[in-house]
Amino acid sequence: MAKGISEKIRKKAMGVTAALVIVGFGASAGSLFNWQVVRGEEMSAAALEQSLRSTSLPAMRGTIYDATGTKVLAQSASVWTVVLEPAYLAEDEALRRTVAAGLSQILELDEEELYEKTGDKSSYYTVIKRKIETDVRDQINQFKLEHEIDNGIRLIDDYKRYYPYGTVASNVLGFTGSDNRGLDGLELYYESELSGSAGRLVAAKNGFGTDMPFEYEQIIEAENGYDLILTLDETVQSILEKYLAEGIEKFQVKNGAVAVMMDVKTGGILGLATHPNYDPNDPLTILDQNMLEEIEALPEGEEREEAEDLALHTQWRNKGVSDTYYPGSVYKMCVGAMGLEEGLITETSQYTCTGSVKIEGVDDPIHCWKHAGHGTETFREGLCNSCNPWFMHIGDLLKVETFCKYRESFGFTSKTGIDLPGESGSLYHSESEMGLSDLFVESFGQNFSITPIQMITACAAVANGGHLVQPHVVDRIVDSKGNIVKTADSGYRRQVISEETSRIISDILRQNAASGTARGGYVSGYRICGKTGTSEKVAKHNEDRTKPMEYIASYCGFAPAEDPQYALLVFFDEPGGDDPASNLTGGNAVAGPIFSAIMQEVLPYLGVEVQYTEDEFGQMDTVAPSVTGLTIGEAQEKLKELGLEYDVVGDESDWENRVVEQIPESGSTVPKDGKVVLYTQGYDTDSAFVEVPDFFGYDLVNASYVAAINGLQISVNGSRDAGAVVMMQATPAGDKVKEGTVITLTFAEELNTETYVHLEE
Amino acid sequence: MPAAGRTARGLERVPDYMPEERPREQPKKRPQRRRKVKYALFSLGGGLDMPLFVFVMVLLAVGLVMLFSASYADSYYREGNSYSYIIRQGGFAAFGVVAMLVISTYDYHRFHKLALPIAGVTVLLLLMVLLFGRVLQIDSIAPNEGVAYRWLYIGPINLQPSEVAKFALILLFAQMISQYADKMDTFRYGVVPFVAVLGLFAVLIFLENHMSGTLIVLALGAIMMFVGGTKPRWFVIGGAVLVLLLLAYMTLGGKDESGEGGVYQMDRVSGWLDPFGNSTSADTWQIRQSLYAIGSGGIFGVGLGQSRQKYLYLPKPQNDFIFAIVCEELGMVGALVIMILFALLIWRGVYVSLRAKDRFGTMLGLGLTFQVGLQTVLNICVVTNTIPNTGISLPFFSYGGTALLMLLGEMGILMNISRSANVEKT
Repeated sequence: MAKGISEKIRKKAMGVTAALVIVGFGASAGSLFNWQVVRGEEMSAAALEQSLRSTSLPAMRGTIYDATGTKVLAQSASVWTVVLEPAYLAEDEALRRTVAAGLSQILELDEEELYEKTGDKSSYYTVIKRKIETDVRDQINQFKLEHEIDNGIRLIDDYKRYYPYGTVASNVLGFTGSDNRGLDGLELYYESELSGSAGRLVAAKNGFGTDMPFEYEQIIEAENGYDLILTLDETVQSILEKYLAEGIEKFQVKNGAVAVMMDVKTGGILGLATHPNYDPNDPLTILDQNMLEEIEALPEGEEREEAEDLALHTQWRNKGVSDTYYPGSVYKMCVGAMGLEEGLITETSQYTCTGSVKIEGVDDPIHCWKHAGHGTETFREGLCNSCNPWFMHIGDLLKVETFCKYRESFGFTSKTGIDLPGESGSLYHSESEMGLSDLFVESFGQNFSITPIQMITACAAVANGGHLVQPHVVDRIVDSKGNIVKTADSGYRRQVISEETSRIISDILRQNAASGTARGGYVSGYRICGKTGTSEKVAKHNEDRTKPMEYIASYCGFAPAEDPQYALLVFFDEPGGDDPASNLTGGNAVAGPIFSAIMQEVLPYLGVEVQYTEDEFGQMDTVAPSVTGLTIGEAQEKLKELGLEYDVVGDESDWENRVVEQIPESGSTVPKDGKVVLYTQGYDTDSAFVEVPDFFGYDLVNASYVAAINGLQISVNGSRDAGAVVMMQATPAGDKVKEGTVITLTFAEELNTETYVHLEE
Repeated sequence: MPAAGRTARGLERVPDYMPEERPREQPKKRPQRRRKVKYALFSLGGGLDMPLFVFVMVLLAVGLVMLFSASYADSYYREGNSYSYIIRQGGFAAFGVVAMLVISTYDYHRFHKLALPIAGVTVLLLLMVLLFGRVLQIDSIAPNEGVAYRWLYIGPINLQPSEVAKFALILLFAQMISQYADKMDTFRYGVVPFVAVLGLFAVLIFLENHMSGTLIVLALGAIMMFVGGTKPRWFVIGGAVLVLLLLAYMTLGGKDESGEGGVYQMDRVSGWLDPFGNSTSADTWQIRQSLYAIGSGGIFGVGLGQSRQKYLYLPKPQNDFIFAIVCEELGMVGALVIMILFALLIWRGVYVSLRAKDRFGTMLGLGLTFQVGLQTVLNICVVTNTIPNTGISLPFFSYGGTALLMLLGEMGILMNISRSANVEKT
């Protein structure tokens, strides 16, 4: 063969080889460089992402305790989410049927729907039911065991929120959604503290989505949320809610109510009851019967849905911080303090009330609630009379600038910053736009809107020696080991008025509650300081003049007078039913008795010492001694010693007969000079019971008389003035009680103290 | 030694078969023989090219290790144990190495006569695939793989006739080139018979719907013709014709009357252009997972056996895309080392072939070497998305018993060529 040809073959072969190796491998190497180095990170991340299954490990939400630290107001408990993995089931017809039938029975779901879901080959995660509890979980595990189902049904850990006290403090606590995130109240405000941080289980999965034997598993432990310990006390809260509900029913309150109690020295909220409220365990149910009836009266459709929506938002709303109102005459305690503090007036300064004040440039004069006028009064008398002209006079002396300075200092122009969501700001005339008439009207608490929480904070400053405190609900935040993470700011923010001014105003308010226009809130033995307020809802009235004026009846006060500790504000929005003309709307008559009832029950619980004045001592109830088991004769002796009368029901033929029962029972209240009914062997059970009459509206004389003819006794609470009438009775009318039972009645006067004839705009 | 005598036999016979070709460098014959005697002490045959043997064995060993790693998860999920694939492949490899060594003692000149019969059998096999698959639709003999028919199951043996066709083509072309020798630059000898054979093979494989097989056969045939002496101008004409045919097929083929559809190769092209796109028609899952695997490897790899992508992400990681797992586990460095190993094998194959005693040996050796080289390059280019996805396995690495067996047999032939070649044996 020719050498030339071999050489040609060699050259060509080498050329082809070189081309193949250099071009082929060169291009490949270039690609490798591109994918492994240039885009390596990107590819690697994408590969990692598709191959990791990240499962969230829910953190347990913190617990909310009340002030005692022992009562649990909100707590999380383990529940489970049932998840189907249809991809494992879809191929097996019999298994699908079994699963659908079994789970539909256990979980009370539609079997056919479930069967459909098991057929979705593409899904590894179909949630079929959330928040199942331990017993249901056990049933599902049992079911899986019985039918030897390994894959296809999964239970995922979750938590559910429980509120053991139901509706108690619902508007403060708020509630959580199905994702365990706080949606309202403290649950929302302290979401980040309560929620903790969810953990993660990062596991490797294969292309089919199941776990693979690959050493790449990492657990980031969930960190449980912090616990909240509130200043709110469940007992106080329950008392507030109980009486608030009673007041709403009694006085036909149409637009909700608020009762808020504050520790005047720290700003801690002991209770904040609002109405309407709801059950945070089931926040989507409308509890208020009136709202429910209104909604049910509507035809099905959009309008009804809107109404439902509105009702839900109304019941979730914390009226204490989110709604504003005219404080009315309650505000006079602040205006009075301003005048004293500036030295413009003293306790004994005099002013003559003619029944109205004429402002230059305004046609209609502004009237006092007492159109005839109060005549010449000292400041002390003016405040006790809640005399509007007296406070317009103070406003006049203060002038706009000083008035506004104090208004700001009392905290009326800014949000209090309470640790609750949705706090509303106040509405007021700014200093520059405040005219003389505005100043005059604001001086007695009309025509500017503040929140109840602002009012009670200012009241606390009046009470505690002039210090503005920071209102708060959460006292401290602790971690799961009990270490304190954060403590509430319970210090003073600033001095608003001097201690001296505070002391003077407190003393006047004490007198006001004892014998002034705020007698409705009087509680025997507890030196209550109080101020009533009846605000006109002028704006609402101006919208529709055909309807009668609506009012807000409020009562704000504190106790005990010599060392104020607790302030309480009670207010009812639109009391008096649909016909206010014939009904009670005044602060003293409506809010006063509720205030009194709350204070009477709360103050002993809080350990405020009882001190009776001589006068009070004279009218004081005594305690029934134990006479059960004694002979009638012995019992009679014993009662006589205590100045009590007696009555015998049953066989009294023989003085040696034994007393088998007594009413009032041993240790319970008996009115002074009252009687104890002694029951002897064989008394007629039926005739021993009497029906409680309705005392409402009776004055003391009539009430005593009605009680006597029914074989009952009364214990007087609240005002003992001649004009006072029964506002509340502790035992509801119509109840059957034993003869001799003591019915506690709360008296108050209906004084339309603060009403004024509003300015024509 | 008996071994020495046996291997020496082939050398003596060469002139009888190929009288027109003479060993190129006669003087070196004597020292070669002496060394053969020396090597006969240690190996099956003196004269076996040691570097070639070493490269083959190293690639085979690395290939098996990587196959084990790559198939580990897939085997577990499909077969229930992780060793199913490696045991099978290992068995074939062991048998294949023995076969390789045996074949390396089998004088390659004997294939000279066998070239035409083998080509005939291949054509028959290809026709059988078409008959049983396309026409009769007998799945047990020629299974339908979506659109293609590539396999033939005859009793216990299952083989791809297209693989056989590559060998048959190389053999036949080597035989033809050595026969026509000086007349290769004529149209009558250098083009017509080759194009006829190549056309028949290509059309039959194309009808199997086996595009990659067709292209490899065409490329192999063309390279051998080119090296063998066919005038370059014919390649320009042939190439142009092929490109036109291909374009026509890609744009017009597979569409129904309304012009919808199209050939699956179009999807492959669009998938190649946009591997991470959301194109619904192109299934880019495989290439995307391949690139994830390659990218995850980085420069030094995640470590042998540590691939994450083999866990059912990359479909059948032990087959065509095994190199992606290599890149993931061994990184760019490992991948380059393996590419260099292949390059060395190719170099040694060419080196040995060019030193074969006769043109038949040279062309046969070159053909076999280029086949390995072409497959390797195309496979790696596919895996790295350098060219559109097409089903080409990676020699020594990809799973497949008969393919490995054939490959090692072919390497045996190459080694036999090396025994008689004028190579400096070390």
